[in-house]
Amino acid sequence: MISVKNLSHAYIKGGNLAVNNISFEVSKGETFGFLGPSGAGKSTTQGVLTGLLKQQSGEVSVAGYDTKKVQNERFNKIGVSFEQSNVYGKLTAKENLDFYAKLFDVPTRDSEELIRLVGLDGKENVRVGEFSKGMKHRLTFARSMINHPELWFLDEPTTGLDPTIAATIKDIIKEQTAKGVTTFLTTHNMYIADELCDRVAFIIDGVIKLIDTPKNLKLQYGQKLIDIEYIKDDQVVKETLKTIDEQDRKRIGEIVNTYDIQTMHSKEATLEEIFIQVTGRGLV
Amino acid sequence: MKLLSSYIKEMKIAARGFYFYIEIVMAIILLAILLFAVNETSSSKSREYLYYDMPQEVIQYMMEKNIAEGNSRFAESVELTVKPTEFEITNQETGETKSYNFEEAATFELQTLETLDPKTGELVKTVYITESEEDMIRIAYSESKLGAAIKMDETGELSYRYYLQGYETDRMENLLYILHNETPDVIEAQKDAQVVRTLDITEKLNNRQNLVPVFIAFMGSLMGFFIVMAYIYLDKAEGVIRAFAVTPSSIWKYLITKIMVILSTVIVSTSIITIPVMGGQPNYLLLYVFLLTTTFFMASLGLLAASFFDTLTKSFGAMYGIMIALMIPAFSYFIPSFDPIWLRFFPTYPMLQGFKEILLHGDAGYVLTFTFVFLAGGLVLFLLANIRFKKTLTV
Repeated sequence: MISVKNLSHAYIKGGNLAVNNISFEVSKGETFGFLGPSGAGKSTTQGVLTGLLKQQSGEVSVAGYDTKKVQNERFNKIGVSFEQSNVYGKLTAKENLDFYAKLFDVPTRDSEELIRLVGLDGKENVRVGEFSKGMKHRLTFARSMINHPELWFLDEPTTGLDPTIAATIKDIIKEQTAKGVTTFLTTHNMYIADELCDRVAFIIDGVIKLIDTPKNLKLQYGQKLIDIEYIKDDQVVKETLKTIDEQDRKRIGEIVNTYDIQTMHSKEATLEEIFIQVTGRGLV
Repeated sequence: MKLLSSYIKEMKIAARGFYFYIEIVMAIILLAILLFAVNETSSSKSREYLYYDMPQEVIQYMMEKNIAEGNSRFAESVELTVKPTEFEITNQETGETKSYNFEEAATFELQTLETLDPKTGELVKTVYITESEEDMIRIAYSESKLGAAIKMDETGELSYRYYLQGYETDRMENLLYILHNETPDVIEAQKDAQVVRTLDITEKLNNRQNLVPVFIAFMGSLMGFFIVMAYIYLDKAEGVIRAFAVTPSSIWKYLITKIMVILSTVIVSTSIITIPVMGGQPNYLLLYVFLLTTTFFMASLGLLAASFFDTLTKSFGAMYGIMIALMIPAFSYFIPSFDPIWLRFFPTYPMLQGFKEILLHGDAGYVLTFTFVFLAGGLVLFLLANIRFKKTLTV
């Protein structure tokens, strides 16, 4: 569904490359996570893929269309949800979606149904200027589904949403994925990526460091850990120890035999920890 | 269908915002000014400074003759103080230059004569008579007005030497030359051959109607230019251009709907001003065609300008500069003798002249020519704006 070969992009001619010679492919029906901290090149890549930025080099094919050629009809197959909500504040939620629906050449979804889907029931006829930031974000997200997209670009879809609404959004993404929609998810939230993505790419400084499934990454880079809390000299002490390390295993036995244990939990390495391990950088 | 849908959406947004009402309210205010604050007849009077180089008895005789014929009347003498000044004057016939340096301020007691319209008896000109040619030159220069020395030779023939300010048109100079240096037959022949559009038209529009072309030209052009930029910046602030860019619809459709909104409002605002003042006098078909093409041109210019900035604040300097420049041709409109060639390259110059022609059933060829010019120019600007917007869609 998406094929990118040797893509580079600079905002100033001859200046630093925001994206540096990256290549990857996304299969039909796949949820592909594009992960990295702010300024890593995620949004630039998505900008080129969605046609908002002019392709400067490499070969890019999106939904069967060569992005170097201007073919507006390709957007009939594509949905884009932006990180910054961008809806008309002077129009109501319904008017926003109805207007947008008329711009497509394919059958579109019912605006009221979409508004209900993202939990904005009863707000159909309220002007968006009166919405909170989170509500506008949900409307932007709903709008991206109006044309039954085959390929869906989601840029930080749960940013700024409360946990309940974020869970609803995640459920909608899962539903769409189950229907065979290909999703290109740009985020710096590793928990969402871990939960939703079939494969993830780690990008930093415009370069893709690795691409793999979350499961493989955990197997390859992750280590089983034990968080242990115990009482020593009337103080609560916390230690995190690796179960595969001989010295740490001896230490676990020593603590258990010597001290009063308060809590003890085993855990897997998170994608965030793996990202730091692979790139040497955090996600903020 | 997409275009219609976008247009309806834009009209809804415009109707819910205040920019739309600015233009309508502005039109109502301008109409009120025209109807209640501007008299139909002109109260403006021109002033001239004259020196009669002839015996006092002859001067007295000429004045009394004029007064007896109802062409003039004496008014109270005027005391005029002028500052120290220094300037040069050039004789156009010989090319000779003469310098004047007046180091002290001076006060003059000027005999005043008012020239009247022979038909209506209304005041049209005030003439101040000086005691010497040098006084006349100094006062005319200080007041930036026309001065003349009138001399009578031994045969009783009058000769005129005019002192102009330097910015007068060739037409104006030729007119003065012909009036005083040719025989009545030659003047008649020259009158037939002259095309002095501005001066001719001014006579036919009353004072109130004379302001209508200025109001509608600037309402369409300046407001169109400014409001289309404001609409674009509102959309940029909301990020909706990027959302539009990822639909199968084209950016040019987005841009043209902005112009369509401007055209719709300008029809309303122009009608508010024109119909009550002009009634059924103008050719409204030509008026609206010219209005739409000129507004299209200026709104396209606004779109192009808006593509270079992100916010209204950042564009303010450029926008203000352009708007001020576009207003300069109004000077030529109100002062027909000020008509330098460079001024004709400002788009608002032919706009003002074109609207004037329409209101008077004047030169339709001139109007149609510039209708085509503004349409073609507007299309070029629109295409450039379209290219710019495609390039500047940021992520």
